[in-house]
Amino acid sequence: MNYRDTIRTCDSLCLTLLLSLLSSSVFADRPADPLGSPMWDYLAPKFIGQADYLFDDRVRIDAPDFAEDPTQVPITVDATAFAGDVSRIVAWTDLNPIQHIFTFYPHPEVIPKVSLRIRVQQGTPIRAAVQTSDGLWHVGYQEIDAQGGGCTAPTMATTNPYWERHLGEIESAQFTRATGNRYRFKVIHPMDTGLVNAIPEFYIENLEIRDAKGDSKARMELSPPISENPVFTFEFNNKNSKYRLWMRDNGGNIFEAAL
Amino acid sequence: MAGIFSRQLFKRATLTFSLLGVSCGVCAGEKSYPINPIEVAKNTYFIEGARENFSTENGGAIANVAFINAGNHILVIDSGPSKRYGDQLFRLIKNQFGRPATDLLISHHHPDHALGTQAFAGISVWALPRTTELLRTEGGSFAENLYQLVGDWMRDTEISLPNREAKAGPLFPDTDRFELIALRGHTSSDLLLMDHQTRTLFTSDIVFYQRALATPHTPGLAVWRQDIERLKALDFDLLVPGHGPAVAKDIALAQMTDYLNWLNKLLSESATQGLTMNEVIRQPIPDRFSDIAMSRYELTRTVTHLYPTYEETLFSAK
Repeated sequence: MNYRDTIRTCDSLCLTLLLSLLSSSVFADRPADPLGSPMWDYLAPKFIGQADYLFDDRVRIDAPDFAEDPTQVPITVDATAFAGDVSRIVAWTDLNPIQHIFTFYPHPEVIPKVSLRIRVQQGTPIRAAVQTSDGLWHVGYQEIDAQGGGCTAPTMATTNPYWERHLGEIESAQFTRATGNRYRFKVIHPMDTGLVNAIPEFYIENLEIRDAKGDSKARMELSPPISENPVFTFEFNNKNSKYRLWMRDNGGNIFEAAL
Repeated sequence: MAGIFSRQLFKRATLTFSLLGVSCGVCAGEKSYPINPIEVAKNTYFIEGARENFSTENGGAIANVAFINAGNHILVIDSGPSKRYGDQLFRLIKNQFGRPATDLLISHHHPDHALGTQAFAGISVWALPRTTELLRTEGGSFAENLYQLVGDWMRDTEISLPNREAKAGPLFPDTDRFELIALRGHTSSDLLLMDHQTRTLFTSDIVFYQRALATPHTPGLAVWRQDIERLKALDFDLLVPGHGPAVAKDIALAQMTDYLNWLNKLLSESATQGLTMNEVIRQPIPDRFSDIAMSRYELTRTVTHLYPTYEETLFSAK
């Protein structure tokens, strides 16, 4: 081995050492995405930061295998397994032009489970990350197949002026379940994504369910992938309380109703 | 588990190969549909579509097609999913009878029934006026969609509109043998044909038999159920459905009534119990429907199409 070879060997050795150091310090205990999505490494830090996470099938996402209507895809995010210990739930899609769907802060009176309908632009993984009180994120995922176009399809409101006279109208119904009370409600709102021609973003940003005293029991931050005229389903383990729904859109309109 | 990503990769690979295929011409061999007509009544031939969803394997040939040699007229009911299918069907009929078809009936505007029409240029193509209008406005996007689902089978397929307006009543002025019936349950514009001579009713997609019914354009299950009741009152022996095998009248209509009632009950009870769409999609399908192909798949679609209407009834009842 001559002098130059020795140097080269040292170089590559050092490089290997350096790389292994880097990967062990920066990427230690950060599990790889089981779905192999090219978006995971970009979106996970965006939504859950640098905190520890694990992929956890106790976080359940229910969705059909395929999107029959990409503008109305029903999803249920269910973190009941962590009931009482959930500080927040963040849901997103990997391959939508707007990835964030919602962030949900459930009070212990609320079963940490929510159903709603979303738009998908193409086949995509749907993610729900549940942060428990110890700071750890539990990530559930589900794939959905779609022909596409959900986010860039004009809303019905584009061609039908019905929404202008009915904006923010809330219809709701209450159901008694074994586990508590279920509330379902529908709000008239175009939930415009801002991705269609010259129609600006116009969507409900904030949602709260409050008790009779006005205390917040469930709080959500919403994003435009939520479908037009959204339908939400929540469950409370408290059968006796009366709840009120409060929402605000990005135009500052406030919508309220008793549930 | 990497389903979506491997599928997208596959699509890209397929695209690359098909682009190569253009310059390569026929080196890979032309695909052809396995079209095997069976005689179900005198001079009446029936081709059953695959009891499946659209796929690159079946080339979109999932709907039934039929043709009748009635002497003066050779009548075809529906044209299949693509130009290639239509071409094959046209040639098959011409070879079998020594002359081409004279009349084509388009039962409704869905792509699996109406996109082979291009091959029948120059003959009478009959449809209800609303069907023609729907083909004019939605046909292009249906064809595009089908290209994505089945691929090269669709090559060169373009929308060819019907040129004759069908009306309920006798199809031809010179004979009472063929009677057209206009119903609404499947798409709001559904054309059926009764052959009084062979006592055969061609229901198209007003009747699905042994294959779950599809609801994307139904005006409602109640309208559909009324249509089935109307068919029960008609006098005929053999029923040729839009999907599934030809069968004696009572069997197919009884199955339709049963299935429509079950769907309606499921949707309305689910709404009353406050179920979410996903919960309805996962509801059990009764054992007696276990021989019906595609029932879980079609239930998923139906919930998307119809459940909001059932939910709405409940919301507004409050």
